[in-house]
Amino acid sequence: MEVQQFYYDNKIVRKFIVATMFWGLVGMSVGLLLAFMFLFPNVTDGISWLSFGRLRPLHTNAVIFAFVGNAIFAGVYYSSQRLLKARMWKDWLSNLNFWGWQAIIVGAAITLPLGYTSSKEYAELEWPFDIAIALIWVAFGANLIGTILKRRQRHLYVAIWFYLGTFVTVAVLHIVNSMAIPVGPLKSYSVYAGVQDALVQWWYGHNAVAFFLTTPFLGLMYYFVPKAANRPVYSYRLSIVHFWSLIFIYIWAGPHHLLYTSLPDWAQNLGVAFSIMLLAPSWGGMINGLLTLRGAWDKVRVDPVLKFMVVAITGYGMATFEGPILSLKNVNAIAHFSDWIIAHVHVGALAWNGFLTFGMIYWMVPRLFKTNLWSLKLANAHFWIGTLGIILYALPMYVAGFQQALMWKEFNPDGTLKYGNFLETLTEIIPMYWMRAIGGTMFIIGMFLLVYNIIMTARQGSKVTDELAEAPALEKVTSKRTTKEGYHTWLERRPVKLTIYATIAILIGGIAQIVPSLMVDDYIPIISSVKPYTPLELEGRDIYIAEGCVGCHSQMIRPFRSEVERYGEYSKAGEFVYDHPFLWGSKRTGPDLMRIGGKYSDNWHLNHMYDPQSTSSGSIMPSYKWLIKNKLDKSNTETKLNAMVTLGVPYTEQDIATAQESMLAQGTKIEKNLYNDPDFAKTYEADKKYAKDNGLEFIEMRNREIVAVIAYLQRLGTDIKVKNADGTETELK
Amino acid sequence: MEDCFHCGDACNNGVVIHNEKAFCCNGCKTVYDILHDNNLDYYYELEQSPGITPNAINGKFDYLNNDIIIKELLNFNEGDTQIVSFLIPVIHCSSCIWILENLNKLNPNILTSQVDFPKKTVRISYSITEISLKDVVVLLSKLGYEPYISLNDIKKDAKTKDRSLTYKLGVAGFAFGNIMFLSFPEYFEVNEFWLNQFKHIFRWLMLVFSLPVVFYSAQDYFISAYKSLQSKFLNIDVPIALGVSVLFIRSVMEVVLNLGTGFFDSLSGLVFFLLLGKFFQQKTYNYLSFERDYKSYFPIAVTKLDSKNLIDEFQTKVYDLVPDDCILIRNEELIPVDGILKKGSAFIDYSFVTGEAKLVEKIIGDEIFAGGKHSGTPIVILVTKSVKQSYLTQLWNNEIFNASTQNIFQSLTDKISQRFTKSLLVIAFVSGLIWLFIDMSKSLNVFTAVLIVACPCALALAAPFTLGNLLRILGMNKLYLKKAEVIEQLAGVDTIVFDKTGTLTTNALHTISYKGELFSEEENNQLKNVLRASSHPLSRALFHHIKSEVSFDITNYSEDIGKGISANVNNETIKIGRFDFVASESKSNIKSESSLLQTTVHISINEKYKGYYAFKNEYRKGFDRLLNELSKDYKLIVLSGDNSGETTYLTKTLPADVELVFNQNPNDKLEFVKALQNKNKKVLMIGDGLNDAGALAQSNVGLSISENINVFSPACDGILDASMFINIYEFLQVSKKGVKIIKYAFFFSLFYNLIGLCFAITGHLEPVVAAILMPLSSISIVFFTTISTYLIGRKITQNS
Amino acid sequence: MTIIYLLLTISVLVALAFFAAFILSVKNGQYDDVYTPSVRMLFEDELVKPKAPKTKTEPTNKIKTNNHN
Repeated sequence: MEVQQFYYDNKIVRKFIVATMFWGLVGMSVGLLLAFMFLFPNVTDGISWLSFGRLRPLHTNAVIFAFVGNAIFAGVYYSSQRLLKARMWKDWLSNLNFWGWQAIIVGAAITLPLGYTSSKEYAELEWPFDIAIALIWVAFGANLIGTILKRRQRHLYVAIWFYLGTFVTVAVLHIVNSMAIPVGPLKSYSVYAGVQDALVQWWYGHNAVAFFLTTPFLGLMYYFVPKAANRPVYSYRLSIVHFWSLIFIYIWAGPHHLLYTSLPDWAQNLGVAFSIMLLAPSWGGMINGLLTLRGAWDKVRVDPVLKFMVVAITGYGMATFEGPILSLKNVNAIAHFSDWIIAHVHVGALAWNGFLTFGMIYWMVPRLFKTNLWSLKLANAHFWIGTLGIILYALPMYVAGFQQALMWKEFNPDGTLKYGNFLETLTEIIPMYWMRAIGGTMFIIGMFLLVYNIIMTARQGSKVTDELAEAPALEKVTSKRTTKEGYHTWLERRPVKLTIYATIAILIGGIAQIVPSLMVDDYIPIISSVKPYTPLELEGRDIYIAEGCVGCHSQMIRPFRSEVERYGEYSKAGEFVYDHPFLWGSKRTGPDLMRIGGKYSDNWHLNHMYDPQSTSSGSIMPSYKWLIKNKLDKSNTETKLNAMVTLGVPYTEQDIATAQESMLAQGTKIEKNLYNDPDFAKTYEADKKYAKDNGLEFIEMRNREIVAVIAYLQRLGTDIKVKNADGTETELK
Repeated sequence: MEDCFHCGDACNNGVVIHNEKAFCCNGCKTVYDILHDNNLDYYYELEQSPGITPNAINGKFDYLNNDIIIKELLNFNEGDTQIVSFLIPVIHCSSCIWILENLNKLNPNILTSQVDFPKKTVRISYSITEISLKDVVVLLSKLGYEPYISLNDIKKDAKTKDRSLTYKLGVAGFAFGNIMFLSFPEYFEVNEFWLNQFKHIFRWLMLVFSLPVVFYSAQDYFISAYKSLQSKFLNIDVPIALGVSVLFIRSVMEVVLNLGTGFFDSLSGLVFFLLLGKFFQQKTYNYLSFERDYKSYFPIAVTKLDSKNLIDEFQTKVYDLVPDDCILIRNEELIPVDGILKKGSAFIDYSFVTGEAKLVEKIIGDEIFAGGKHSGTPIVILVTKSVKQSYLTQLWNNEIFNASTQNIFQSLTDKISQRFTKSLLVIAFVSGLIWLFIDMSKSLNVFTAVLIVACPCALALAAPFTLGNLLRILGMNKLYLKKAEVIEQLAGVDTIVFDKTGTLTTNALHTISYKGELFSEEENNQLKNVLRASSHPLSRALFHHIKSEVSFDITNYSEDIGKGISANVNNETIKIGRFDFVASESKSNIKSESSLLQTTVHISINEKYKGYYAFKNEYRKGFDRLLNELSKDYKLIVLSGDNSGETTYLTKTLPADVELVFNQNPNDKLEFVKALQNKNKKVLMIGDGLNDAGALAQSNVGLSISENINVFSPACDGILDASMFINIYEFLQVSKKGVKIIKYAFFFSLFYNLIGLCFAITGHLEPVVAAILMPLSSISIVFFTTISTYLIGRKITQNS
Repeated sequence: MTIIYLLLTISVLVALAFFAAFILSVKNGQYDDVYTPSVRMLFEDELVKPKAPKTKTEPTNKIKTNNHN
């Protein structure tokens, strides 16, 4: 009850800041490498774990969960302690949060390049990591809630609410989306199939953006912008309305990522409607943030911290305006699968998340080290080069996306596609990729400036670790008082407890609900001709997943004339019933593969994988030499088949028993086909002979990974083709 | 001239230099010391010289030793912890918040203190083992944050804040959002394979969500509708309640009988928007009170003296005072009861009552009325009437002050809704009947559809949003209205009654003017020296008025209570005081001339009459211009409590048709207004003092002028900051324009209703149509009103 | 699309949870004063010296408060 003195835990904040900067550099560098792979596809030639498909998820994960994630923790740990007038609840939880999170990231940085991925965007990490993430996240939440409970400030500042909201929703989303059946230490199959998997994934995917990249940062905005500008937020009332309206409807907006897909239209439209509605709360927040600086523009001119924040908030405004626009069906028809989306997300990531983080760091570090920023000049330089970088990144991508999308849709008068060859549309936009790479480089240079500046600041700063503060404890509350006045600590604790109960309730409810959906979906009209993958195809599919092919190739033909003309019959929900996970993809750097099956010979695929440019000149696909050398691991096939059975895929006992034979058989068949190509026959025989002479162990082609991949690719989209009497094929409509 | 480091005022009467900082007085310096010694200098870093000069408080809060009184002030008292909330009008900046929330740094026995800035209150909990309520109050006062404690504070039942509207709005909003989500799918697509699997769940969920909306959020409308029906008068809530219930019943039917989706989204949307309007309309100026009577002015307790020896002091609640008690009134204390001056000489300032800052001098035996503020040395008063019986407080026995007789005002909306509702019902029945013949099955459908689509959501929103906006705009222009309806009433006014003193005149500083033979530099100087010796308020005022330095010392100074002062300065006799005291030879002309004026101080040097200083308060700048403007559109009347002294001046300056009435006591004023109203005039009363309270309450709209809105003004419908006095005309114009806007908005919404009716009557009202039409109309009304009010608002801010 | 059941339940539950939190926090008077907190959060509270009085505080720059009337 009397005044208590206590220390703010600054060590943890510093740790997170260091982690933020380190992983920021890593994530962005990987991104830059990827940007250059668009220009020099084979720059990492032959090194499997440096191939584009495997690095892409590493980039997204590193930037979102490592860079932004650590930034969130840094900001939350700094601000909540001060807003609640209390040290974090438990130091060991803080440290568990920190080290656990870093461990997960390191794990990701190792496993993703090695091809261990679930292929679900922003949720690529395999099941052991999913569990770890859940645990660490709960540790974070517990720590936050614990601190709220022992706070010395009655009122919960709006930022805290944003943090709470983030914790609960992200926890729920993560758990629901990560439901999977393990088939190996680092391999699992999503419990949901096809359309359902897609819906869950994008319900998560969108909300990952909403609740991981937005709500926590709004909280941070509501703390750091007023602090940096040293004036109260423009309208605190508005900020409260902002939070509650956001939290009430944000969760509905997911399906707009699946427009024109096989998802039911009404579900798509729902996504659209709500995405549009989101404009209101988002802009409410943006305006509130900007108006906080009203009358402080003179400060903004001189203070880099505020500059960064202004651009960040503006970026937020742009991204949240563009989002609803993109979710309009006719806009989406153009933008989806194109580089427009890349531009969109990077405006959000670079400006909103990046710049707010930078502003935050520049503001916090001098305070943490009881000194001034080492060099304002350098910070300003960072600001300008960074801003320029964002512009140079975003603009070309908009142009590229727009241009390519239009070329995809362009027809000749005679009704044939103007650019029948996908590559034509690609080579067009290579210059844009160049500019993008330059923009990215600038942004990363800025990042280096920040790191240097911060290091120097820390050097010159004092070594005081924790700061002393004091505040009276909140008085105990008695029933008598309850009857008397308005606000009471014990009542105030309720929403906190309540969030915990709610989360638990949700999870229970969730689990209960999953059971029915574990069954193969009775509501999806079954297309009789759609059969499960053969064991070899299944293995091939897993390689397809591991190599991250889905990063560049979609498997979803939307019902547009242009796409049907280019790729074939549009996709039907019924075709995906056995797809655990779904592989619709979200970007077409290369052409769609939904109906690739039977389009090319097995040899073509082999050569294409070995040296893409040889078969399709000008292609920017890297070569996948190792697939052709590596032996296919068949040890786990039965387990996989069994897992599929539990998920409702109708493999018979017999299928599973004869898995090995059938794989060998199908492999041999493909191997035979390959012999149709004399060159292949020559080199292959030569290799075999060479190995024999030198007593090296030789892997038969039928046992190599490539065969599985070919098997899978040749199967794709063929199920609804039916043989006619005359041997020609027509597609089932 | 330097400004005070603490309070920022110019240091007029000498600078106190301390810690190489300038202070205007020792009071400020002391506060600085307290803060500085406790490492609270942050106070000065937050804001430039945020401080307030503390007032002397000797014995002022002694009554806080009285346990009964303490008990009545506390809002929590258990164990050794007590919690009390104070209103501190001077709270004005972030420094104030900071220091008041860091009281525990000044006294560890204060546990927590939390400021509510908008309300200008602080809630302090402290441990009584070490510190008493009085100590807390004294500590605050020492810092310049003197709490305002008045009769009002006692017996106030622990007011639990009414947040029901917020809940209702929250429920409606939440349900609205979710119901929208659930209703959309069926709008986008019908008979889609999967949708057919789920629509039933969707529909039932919607039904569930709509329940709290209808039975909780909307309940006020049902209640009000029911009441109005009882009083045989159809207010706007009747059609609304009708619409809501029809919407609900039909929707439930549709879902239960599996006929369709129902109108749940329209239903919840409607309620949500209506409540939004309500919410928007209520703008409360927490720190202002429009309900003040004498209680807010009077102290809780006074120092009672033992009627025998007149020495022993003890504190009693003013309510307990009975005739023949003797009370001690100190400097700057308020006189709570009528009585007779028994000891000492009193200088009473009745500005609370009359609005005129004039010092009336009373000598022993004079009768003293409650409501005056004494300044000078302590006096003793013999109580003649108890508080309730006193001259001033009797005013509140008038029935106008018990809420039951509030003049019922029929708002524009209600007027409209009369006709609207009737015609609505007619249309509904007629079209229902017609369909009976065309197509039985559809008849009921059409009937309900009409009631649904014509539900006057937009109509009901027009007034709240317009008035709500104007309320804020006027607030920004320092006219603080009690509630939005006042604007409508203001627009209807045709007669304006002004109180003279304090309203037309400032009750701020006197203007001191000298008439007579001019003084030499030396005489001036001597004068100042003599005045310096006297503690008489007028002397103090003159002392500050006369510009000259203080040098020589004076001899045989004498102060003749109630007459004047005399003294010798280097063997010249200087007399200052009443005419008869100063002037030996008769100067009857001066005497008569000066007697007309309010307050005069006469001067003679060596028995030679020099002249007199006249203290009078000045008229507000531009008041004549204002009255000329107003007289074009309104009948103007000036009421005044005091004698007709200034008739000549006023008739000269004011337009001819302004009626001047003098010698009006509080009750006369009230009656006067009543008389006007009986000639069915709509009266706007503009006054300030307590003596206007009756008139303010009686009038259709009562505005009270206030030099400083934190200092109190009597019960009224609105408080106008004195600085905006000259804009009264603009304000009235605005109110009229506001009503126009509402009327336009009505046409808008009726237009929407017509469109809706077309669908309804022809039997084509799909849920989608309603779902689009309703929010559309509401939102466009909100836009229209907001923008147009904003435009008006800009005009006044330009003009003023 | 049985998955709809899952997503619906969860979404509604989450929304309900937050709604309850909203109602409660209003009830607790969290939002009785929606101005002061925004100023309070600006105060530096790390000026404390461990129980050793008579020491100068670090300077901090001015906070502008818009005086609510």
